[in-house]
Amino acid sequence: MTGAPAEAVPMVSFRGVTKRFGTLAACDDVSFDVAGGEVVALLGENGAGKSTLMKTLYGIHPPDGGEVLIHGRPAAFARPADAMAAGIGMVFQTFSLLPALSVRDNLAMAWPGTPWYLGKRGRNVRGALAHLSQLAPGINPDARLGTLSTGEQQLVELAKVLNLDARLVILDEPTSVLTPAEAERLYGLIRAIAADGVAVVMITHKLADVEACADRVVVMRRGRVEGEGSAAALSRAEIVTLMMGRTARGDDPRGLPEKPPLPARPRPQLLLRRVSTGDQTSDARDVTLTVHRGEILGIAGVTGNGQTALAEGVAGIRDLTDGEVLLDGSVISRRRLDPRRKLHIGYVPENPRENGIVAGLSLETNLALRSIAERKGASRRMTSSEVAQRLAEYDVRPPEPARAAGTLSGGNVQKLVIARETGEPREALLMVFPTMGLDITATAFVYDRMVAAAAAGAAVLWISEELDDLLALAHRIAVIREGRIMAEWPVTPGLTRTEVGASMTGGPT
Amino acid sequence: MRIDSTARPWPFSAVLLTTALVFFAVAAAFFAAIGQSPLKVMTDLVLFAAGDGFSREETLLKAAPILLCALAAAIPGRLGLISVGAEGQLHLGAIFGTAMVLSMPGAPAMILLPATLMAAACGGAFWGAIPGWLRGRLAVNETITTLVMNYIGVLMVNALVFGPWRDPVNLGWPATARFPDAVDLPVLPGTRLHLGLMLGALLALACALAFSRGIRAERVRILAMNRKVGETFGLSFPRHAVVLMALGGAVAGLAGIGEAIAIQGRLQPGLSLGYGLTGFLVAWLCGHRFLPILLVSILIGGLLAAGDALQLYAKVPASSAVILQGLLFVTVLAVPGLLQRRTA
Repeated sequence: MTGAPAEAVPMVSFRGVTKRFGTLAACDDVSFDVAGGEVVALLGENGAGKSTLMKTLYGIHPPDGGEVLIHGRPAAFARPADAMAAGIGMVFQTFSLLPALSVRDNLAMAWPGTPWYLGKRGRNVRGALAHLSQLAPGINPDARLGTLSTGEQQLVELAKVLNLDARLVILDEPTSVLTPAEAERLYGLIRAIAADGVAVVMITHKLADVEACADRVVVMRRGRVEGEGSAAALSRAEIVTLMMGRTARGDDPRGLPEKPPLPARPRPQLLLRRVSTGDQTSDARDVTLTVHRGEILGIAGVTGNGQTALAEGVAGIRDLTDGEVLLDGSVISRRRLDPRRKLHIGYVPENPRENGIVAGLSLETNLALRSIAERKGASRRMTSSEVAQRLAEYDVRPPEPARAAGTLSGGNVQKLVIARETGEPREALLMVFPTMGLDITATAFVYDRMVAAAAAGAAVLWISEELDDLLALAHRIAVIREGRIMAEWPVTPGLTRTEVGASMTGGPT
Repeated sequence: MRIDSTARPWPFSAVLLTTALVFFAVAAAFFAAIGQSPLKVMTDLVLFAAGDGFSREETLLKAAPILLCALAAAIPGRLGLISVGAEGQLHLGAIFGTAMVLSMPGAPAMILLPATLMAAACGGAFWGAIPGWLRGRLAVNETITTLVMNYIGVLMVNALVFGPWRDPVNLGWPATARFPDAVDLPVLPGTRLHLGLMLGALLALACALAFSRGIRAERVRILAMNRKVGETFGLSFPRHAVVLMALGGAVAGLAGIGEAIAIQGRLQPGLSLGYGLTGFLVAWLCGHRFLPILLVSILIGGLLAAGDALQLYAKVPASSAVILQGLLFVTVLAVPGLLQRRTA
């Protein structure tokens, strides 16, 4: 890691920046500097105010108090276009790119003023393409953007920003959408950009990002700067403590719970018999698994290898083309199942905001979805105070029963779904990538509940690609690849990441 | 998402007032363009629509089929379906109802009238259920199917009244025999206001109630907002699509037989004056809310009724009422959007 070059005037200084939404202070008196050539990791949990702070700089949310200095001069941008003109570029979590257009067209769109007769051969587009070929020589500028991987799309977005002669580049959770290999490449690129004297702010909640490429760390919590220091000087545990505001459990910086003990006499509870949903590699194909009472069976696999189909088949949402799923001896899913027989098990789907809640309806209604489906009138459901209590118990914030579920943050949406799915005892629990996109606290919470459900006797089927977590919490691990179960092991201290990882990718064991 | 605390949306009353002013300005320009005094024509309009008992009755009579057709669009609209099929369902209702009348012409009113209304509702429901089923099970776009089935419905009426149902006494005029008195819709004593209108108003109130509270309303809302989550919990979108399309169709079917009985007294071509489309626009204008639909239907009814009167007494073409209706829809749909845009 290179040290930041000493500069008399920092590239950007935040001086007491405050931004309020109603009564909530998203940013509260935030002050720190970013120097040219320096990579600052802006750390914090979901909702800590990191993104909001950067948006005050970028002209999306003008600050209510304090000021931002660029090269020592006060700057207040009313619009992102003004910030861009001043050399500030932001790469958002959800890209501002159009999948249907070519890479070239997407880059051209960044300069709407380009005269039509220059078309896509204008200087700006050529410049951006030059940047792109530096970042990723493999990307064909005439390829349709939608055909690129997420990582490649991010690079296109980055090229667009770099071509603005940005002196400050802000990356919002850049690695959350990347595969490990793509993340590695991005780390290298960030270092290279910084070496050219550009200041980089990386918004993140991943400690891996910090270790890989940050010079300095600024930790925010509840809108305030909780601490800052050089990345080399702060330990993982110190950063986690700053982020979470309490000492993480045990020595595990991720705060994982203890694995629950297996019952003395294991009894099969959830059975998958030759379950198939089709014959594509993204379908479940001939999957046979047994999950016992109180057992956590982890399904490891690279995303897109039939996990979604398998989960929806087991949950009874997708018709099986073959095989059947049995819960406690009775069939809960097979071909053309009566829809009224759905959901005998707790089901935490992937992407809960899309698949787990009705965004426009209240928290109370979302908690009651099962009762509504079972034709229980309002009088036979939880009372308002019970709802409020359940929300508090699962730490759904804010715990307002009448609030629309879509207004919750990602972590709170997941807590809401888990409150519904594990609030009452279940025979079986099916969780699909349950911690994707969640911060450390929320992740620990999800695992707490999963372990508690198993301890209470549920058979837990847990689909994940977090190998370390699977090894720490599952009793057994099965690997799914191209829709088939390729291997299955009991988790013992002898089972290694490498062994499971090799099976996931089909490499030599 | 942009949350800007300084941009405040216009208050509803201001939007309403601005929209009304813009509409009157546009309408005045239109009347000036066809060489009429805007002020006089518009005063006449109001007088002919609501000036005396007769015109008020006329207004309400015109409003009845519009109201029923608006409900027919709004009911499936609550599930997020875009049905433009009220016109066809109206014609099917008229066909089924007429079949009942023709099959037992001598029956007493006590039996004939309810049976006819039931048959009409079934006809409309049948015509609505088909696109509902296609949408639910096969994901066929319901807007297209309902649109196309409108033509089939209208032409079926033509085929019947030009063919097997033509009354020979009519000497070649395509229409069925005159309906017996037993099927006359009961009227409010001392007025011409018949059952159809009251039924429409009652249905609007019932829908307002049924779709705002209770477990069925919740299920419809869940499926409308997130079909996948609803289906995760075992709610059936296809079944809801069929049922709501059929319910909407049944209501439109009542409009059809109501027009045949109360206006023509027989089944003949030209049964509907575009009530299906007008109703669709009313429903969308009101965001599928049933109480506003009731009010706006009456407003549009007044416009159409006044249009007829204008032609008779003020020598203004009756079609100007339809143009006025079009201007009204455009203004109401465009102005609030433009106001919000300026604010954002």
